[in-house]
Amino acid sequence: MDRIECQWCRGQNPPGSVSCLTCGAPLDERNRVSDSGWREAPRLRDMTEFRFFNSTCQVEGELVPVAEINLGQGDTVFFEHHVMLWKDEHTPIAALNTGGGFKRVLGGMPFVVTVAQGPGRIAFSRDSPGELVVLPLHPGMELDVREHAFLLASGNIDYSFVRIKGLANVLHGGGGMFMDRFVTGGQPGMLLLHGYGNVFERTLRPGERILVEPGGYLYKDSTVQMQAVQQKLRTGRLRHGMYLAEMTGPGRVGIQSMYVHHHSE
Amino acid sequence: MTGATPYVCRYCRQHSDPTAPSCPRCGAPVDVRASVSRSGWQKQPPIKDMARIQFGRSTLQIEGAYVPVADFALAGDDYIYFSHHVLLWTDPEATLTNMSLSGGWSRMMAGLPLIMVEGRGPGHIALSDNHAGDIVVLPLEHGQRIWVREHRFLAATGNVEYTWESSPVWYVTGSGDDRETHYPMGMFGDIFGARDAPGLLLLHSPGNTFVRDLRPGETLLVQPTALLYRDLSVTMHLHLEYPHSQGLFSWRRYSYRSVWLRLAGPGRVAVQSVYQRPEDAEPITSHSYATSRSW
Repeated sequence: MDRIECQWCRGQNPPGSVSCLTCGAPLDERNRVSDSGWREAPRLRDMTEFRFFNSTCQVEGELVPVAEINLGQGDTVFFEHHVMLWKDEHTPIAALNTGGGFKRVLGGMPFVVTVAQGPGRIAFSRDSPGELVVLPLHPGMELDVREHAFLLASGNIDYSFVRIKGLANVLHGGGGMFMDRFVTGGQPGMLLLHGYGNVFERTLRPGERILVEPGGYLYKDSTVQMQAVQQKLRTGRLRHGMYLAEMTGPGRVGIQSMYVHHHSE
Repeated sequence: MTGATPYVCRYCRQHSDPTAPSCPRCGAPVDVRASVSRSGWQKQPPIKDMARIQFGRSTLQIEGAYVPVADFALAGDDYIYFSHHVLLWTDPEATLTNMSLSGGWSRMMAGLPLIMVEGRGPGHIALSDNHAGDIVVLPLEHGQRIWVREHRFLAATGNVEYTWESSPVWYVTGSGDDRETHYPMGMFGDIFGARDAPGLLLLHSPGNTFVRDLRPGETLLVQPTALLYRDLSVTMHLHLEYPHSQGLFSWRRYSYRSVWLRLAGPGRVAVQSVYQRPEDAEPITSHSYATSRSW
């Protein structure tokens, strides 16, 4: 019998599987794609399990889902410390300096992330209704993520940050001064995000453009160019100009439907 | 169902197509039983993910379930208007322009948008609000008007007229420098009406949405911030309720008072399940027309 290919992460699954072993996406449901080409991130079923390295992740709940990790011997995950929901007493954790501390503090970004090492259990959630977005990263991938959206990443992923270029972005774009950048080397990695509300993904062709409210931007391939563009609109009591993030392909763009709108009233 | 009886959607109350997966006028599912409480509230079912609604030559698609997105595919001369802060994404080809509103100073003081954005096709424009809840689509027949609580408006088609009125529900606490006027359901209410042709009005309702028809003279007390919309035939005013208390705390009855909105039929009212209670900190010194009850 043919193996089943996951339409979200392209992972291969044995016949009869109902959810992807690599990312947890349901395999027995049709993709939900809008007429405009946005694909909904798969809604992970309550108690779905998937594996990465020697570890497993079980997704619990639906409205504000929890990612419970059973870390295998030697496996590590890193995360912002305030997303920890609970852990086994004996699961070791350590602080890891990401570098660029002062600049990241100015940008409201964590400059210390916490690392948990297996064996042991540890669970994570953010603080608002939304979806867990499971993004298995193939070797040699680069993904940019909006600040404070990442829930956890496997320890073999290189974590850095990029400054959003252009003064307009810093002052008006609303995406913050920095974005997290996750890069895999020769090995695959596992990245989990929390998107507020519903999450949609679209793959832009080379040169294809789309305008996104900066607060709705969730992630993008690093090949997608992002710049703030001013609209011919005046908003709010001070008549601010309105800026949108112009995304230019090629590559994937992920957005969230519940977002923080910046610099307008 | 008989072939001679036209199907009417029980949610938008317009003639609809019973063979479609969802009502083409309002997106409500047609294949579900009415969910009605013993008290008569009918739950507005969430619009199914990816449901399509036709208006003019354009299409609206509702995407997502927790915080749904209204994705407009605008064609020809069709256009919509909305407050800029609900814009999620747009095609670069779509045109966005300002649409000014009158009463700027008062609206600014009330925290309401001063300027609406007019979006024209061809192209896609997608909108979403910032709360988990429902998108409620109300097709308005020619001449039909409806009152909506402020900040619940998501978008309307270009042929829907928009006006607003001061809230008839307020009360004052304190005196002198501490005097404060409270508007438990906001300073203004929005009124929408279909002008020359039928139109489409979209609201965002945090939490779940429930609809009920009040008979002539039937009354109901609701939390002021829970009211989503009402027919203009439904009247409303302030209602103050004081629980029975005695002994040490009887002189602070205002601390336990309930500030209600009293609705009187006939007409349709809708409430949302997420709301904020009015503050109960100080005695009320004056108020808009109100009924009261002391237990």
